[in-house]
Amino acid sequence: MKAFAYVSPTTAKDAIAALKAGGIVRPLAGGQDLLARLKDYVETADTLVNVKQALDATVTPAGGGLKIGAAVTLDALSTNPHVIRMYPALAEAAAKVGSPQIRHQGTVGGNLNQRPRCWYFRQEEFVCFKKGGNRCFSVDGENQHHAIFGNDGPSKIVHSSSLAVPAVAYGARFVVAGPNGEREIPAAEYFTLPTMQNVKKENVLGDDELLTHVILPAPGHIRSGHYEVRFKESRDWPMAFATVVVTMNGANVASARVVLGAVAPTPWRSEAAERALVGKPLTQATAEAAAAAAVEGAKPMSQNAYKIQITKTAVVRAILEAAGKRA
Amino acid sequence: MAEETMQQPPAANPNEPSANAKKYAWTVPPAKTAILSHRVERVDGPAKVSGAARYTYDINRPGMLWARAIRSPHPHAKIVEIDFSAAKQAPGVRGVLAWKDPGAEVMYQGDVVAAVAADSEDHARDAARLVKITYETLPFSVREASSKDPATPKIFATGNTRPGQATDVGDVAAAFKSAAHVYEATYDTQVITHVCLETHGAVCEWTGDKLTAWVTTQGVHGVRQQLAAALKIPEANVRVICEYMGGGFGSKIAADASVVIPARLALVTGAPVKMMFDRKEEHLDTGNRPSAFSKVRAGVSADGKCVAFEAETWGTGGAGQGAQFPLPYIYQFANRKRAHLDVYINAGNQRPMRAPGHPQGCFATEVLMDELADLVKMDPLEFRLKNLPPTAPDAMWGEYFKIGAKKFGWDKRRATGEGGKGHLRTGMGVSACQWGGGGRAGNAHVDILPDGSVVVKVGTQDIGTGARTVVGIVAADTLGVPLSTVKAQIGDTDLPFAGASGGSTTTAGISPAIRIAAGRAKEALLARLAPSLGGDASKLEIVNGRVQVKGGGKSLTWKAACKLLGQEPISIDNAWEPGLSSVNTSGVQFAEVTVDTETGIVKVDRVLAIQDCGLVIDTLTAESQVYGGVISSINFALFEDRLLDRRTGQMVNPNMEHYLLASIADVPKVEVMLMNMPERGVIGIGEPPTVPTASAIANAVRNATGATLRSLPLHPHRVLAALEAHKAGRKA
Ligand SMILES: Cc1cc2nc3c(=O)[nH]c(=O)nc-3n(C[C@H](O)[C@H](O)[C@H](O)COP(=O)(O)OP(=O)(O)OC[C@H]3O[C@@H](n4cnc5c(N)ncnc54)[C@H](O)[C@@H]3O)c2cc1C
Ligand code: SF4
Repeated sequence: MKAFAYVSPTTAKDAIAALKAGGIVRPLAGGQDLLARLKDYVETADTLVNVKQALDATVTPAGGGLKIGAAVTLDALSTNPHVIRMYPALAEAAAKVGSPQIRHQGTVGGNLNQRPRCWYFRQEEFVCFKKGGNRCFSVDGENQHHAIFGNDGPSKIVHSSSLAVPAVAYGARFVVAGPNGEREIPAAEYFTLPTMQNVKKENVLGDDELLTHVILPAPGHIRSGHYEVRFKESRDWPMAFATVVVTMNGANVASARVVLGAVAPTPWRSEAAERALVGKPLTQATAEAAAAAAVEGAKPMSQNAYKIQITKTAVVRAILEAAGKRA
Repeated sequence: MAEETMQQPPAANPNEPSANAKKYAWTVPPAKTAILSHRVERVDGPAKVSGAARYTYDINRPGMLWARAIRSPHPHAKIVEIDFSAAKQAPGVRGVLAWKDPGAEVMYQGDVVAAVAADSEDHARDAARLVKITYETLPFSVREASSKDPATPKIFATGNTRPGQATDVGDVAAAFKSAAHVYEATYDTQVITHVCLETHGAVCEWTGDKLTAWVTTQGVHGVRQQLAAALKIPEANVRVICEYMGGGFGSKIAADASVVIPARLALVTGAPVKMMFDRKEEHLDTGNRPSAFSKVRAGVSADGKCVAFEAETWGTGGAGQGAQFPLPYIYQFANRKRAHLDVYINAGNQRPMRAPGHPQGCFATEVLMDELADLVKMDPLEFRLKNLPPTAPDAMWGEYFKIGAKKFGWDKRRATGEGGKGHLRTGMGVSACQWGGGGRAGNAHVDILPDGSVVVKVGTQDIGTGARTVVGIVAADTLGVPLSTVKAQIGDTDLPFAGASGGSTTTAGISPAIRIAAGRAKEALLARLAPSLGGDASKLEIVNGRVQVKGGGKSLTWKAACKLLGQEPISIDNAWEPGLSSVNTSGVQFAEVTVDTETGIVKVDRVLAIQDCGLVIDTLTAESQVYGGVISSINFALFEDRLLDRRTGQMVNPNMEHYLLASIADVPKVEVMLMNMPERGVIGIGEPPTVPTASAIANAVRNATGATLRSLPLHPHRVLAALEAHKAGRKA
């Protein structure tokens, strides 16, 4: 990999200042994504700013919810008793990532900001739209892992963050800090669908900004379920997954959030599935109806139609888990 | 042919036991031995787990440089120009090398064009990227179907395909006419790569005109010969060392670019040079298992006899290599006919991979056998029993099927398609394997030194099978001393010649030589000791490291006895001799799986492997071979797939992320039953256990769901499609 300068500030303010060092500067957290990209010459950097000392690595109660520092590791997140009790889907998503090594090294900030896993993107030889080229290789190439929703833009990636999906489902807000101070962005608005203008990024974060915290609202009386369809038991990516968060009115669903993962360039909220749940009891039949609604409008590419069935299964099982009936 | 053999005098029969083989026959049964056939831990286990064992990757020499290859990014192109000027200016660069010249063609992505050497691995990598190669791209094909298509332009100088050997036995047409059922289907298996944990590579160092090469290889002696030829220097000037190596599976037999490049760059730069491939290079250019397609027509009689078989087969071994495989596999079809086509594509060439051809032929045959069994409404196991070759020491499938069925609980197997009610369905499958093994290339040197040390020198290498332990066990057991007394030296061309470790031949190749050399050494020792112990060597024995007079009387510790040798040690050489080893093994495997019909995910729950290999030298390492074989075959069944981009011809998954391999948690319970046949002598076990698991798994999926999977790997998309087709009453 190309040699780079390395700085390790101890405050968020210094870290943000360091992002302005000139040339290509990248924040480095656990490095599980960034270092691999640099080693494979997918990209190069002039300076890496280690943010693990600078950013918060704690989970603290806040307004009835939780405030999670960007430097919290995935392992710490998945084993935190508050997270497990209040946002079990988030704990489960973190617990299933990669392997124990990756979870001990990888962080919340790094996971949410990781770059695509598209196998063309990950190889230097393929200069696609995301790397300033003028084509997407997946269109007439090997696209079995690519998007079945939101794939009419230039890039057909699926967003690779497992945490992003429950974050959107729980209505999380991301705290972003830059040279001009902090701003809060709802998780659902953080991730962007690719257009020709923004295709080189997957979110609204500026190059001079850092994600510092994830704020989870007070859970109230929600129930949640999370299901990942995984081929291998570890060191692998989910083929499709879903997080479902509902509130109940007696035996019936009062409100619902259904968010799908690994199917679109962003966490993919399915309002159709949500509508299919509201006013209904959490039964197998409702779950199936919601799953059918969730995949309505899917636009598979040449090799990934199988993901529709897999997505349906994830939705059914996530709903049944929310209902306390584990598949 | 048969007549010719019969006319030969018995003495010329190379399998007739030699006088030495009779004299030093194996002690059987193993209950009578001290360590032979027992459960012995690897002698180098502690060195391996503590990191003390030095693999080629761990060899570092003073002043050593690193080499890096520059490879074609194109599946097919002509090299127009190679410009090293920028690379030569790069930091740390010490030498460059053109591997191919302008005008030559590259035939696949990853084909080596040039190399650089620099003072660090990073500098070498960076400099390699600065070598400017101009290509003229040429038409290519990365799909078997397009290479087979006559409309595709000629890409390979000898044509895009090459007919293989055809077979035609019996009267196929008549047999099909007489058959009660005729069945047709097409089966295919994918290209997979060897994925050795230690990648290919070498460290090469010249001292004057002498070259020392530390190579991660399956054959130190073969590599010496090929390296000397490639460098046009005398073999005597080359020494190849491989003390420990991290897997080869058939891909590390020859002196390939990973050895010749560092040797040449070491000459150019005057410094030792190390070159280790990275994972992407491994996938692209260090071999693979060819694909196999079989369009089969088979006929069975009403009472379940396989009578007719006709197949059109093809496959690709890459850019100019063959893709043969045995078909039909094991089961007897009296009348059979087959035509085969090797198909070339612009992708890395095949190399032998653990039981070359057998997993492919086994898959097509074994899945077909289950389908045929259904046609005649027979239990698949009964159907197999009916169509096996006659039972013999080297054809024990019938016995093993019966033993395995009992052990595995085959009677609990449900009818096909009735694997449960919910979305989780379970089923069982079965499959068989055969392999030749054996081996003749082995020489051993045994020293018994006056201080009691025993040194056994064999120029073999340990490819992970436990060769060092085998050397020690055979010598120690023969001499009657504890294993710790023996120092086994292997992995060096300065040691007596032994063949390459391929074809499951290592143990059968070296054990007879060690047995006889150690037996003769023992005899020589006792002869020298006799005067001090009553005068009659024939009355002496060595038990547990004590030299004693049989039936009581005088005795000496091993150390005290050896001290009597004075200044002159015992030093004996012997080559392999017939009579202590043999060929041909058989095995069967059972698998139970759970299929999630809503996701298409197959989980293997348990596997039972029954395998013979002649005389088992070390039960523990022999079992390890079976575990490893089964796990590899699970990878072949479910996960591994070399995927080439149809538009650019490049591999999309040259890594260990999208090229899937079982994680520890994906490995099921594997039970191994070794069938020890000491009376047959040593045969070998490295390859056969990796043959049948994948087919047993596919058959278990079929039993669980009713859906037949005729194509590997069993990725969820294939399983879902097969389930869908089954539901719709279609053939997938
Ligand atoms: C085999 C394998 C399997 C995997 N499976 C999964 C999986 O199932 N699910 C999943 O979600 N992930 C998976 N991963 C990805 C892994 O979880 C992420 O790579 C890891 O979480 C990234 O965290 P990190 O701290 O190491 O990030 P880094 O590599 O340090 O950073 C990732 C990116 O985020 C940027 N960044 C880091 N911190 C911040 C911040 N605070 N603000 C702004 N930008 C920042 C970096 O500049 C970089 O571009 C897998 C990875 C591998 C190798
Ligand atoms: S899907 Fe996106 S990342 Fe992948 S090749 Fe297309 S543009 Fe590039």
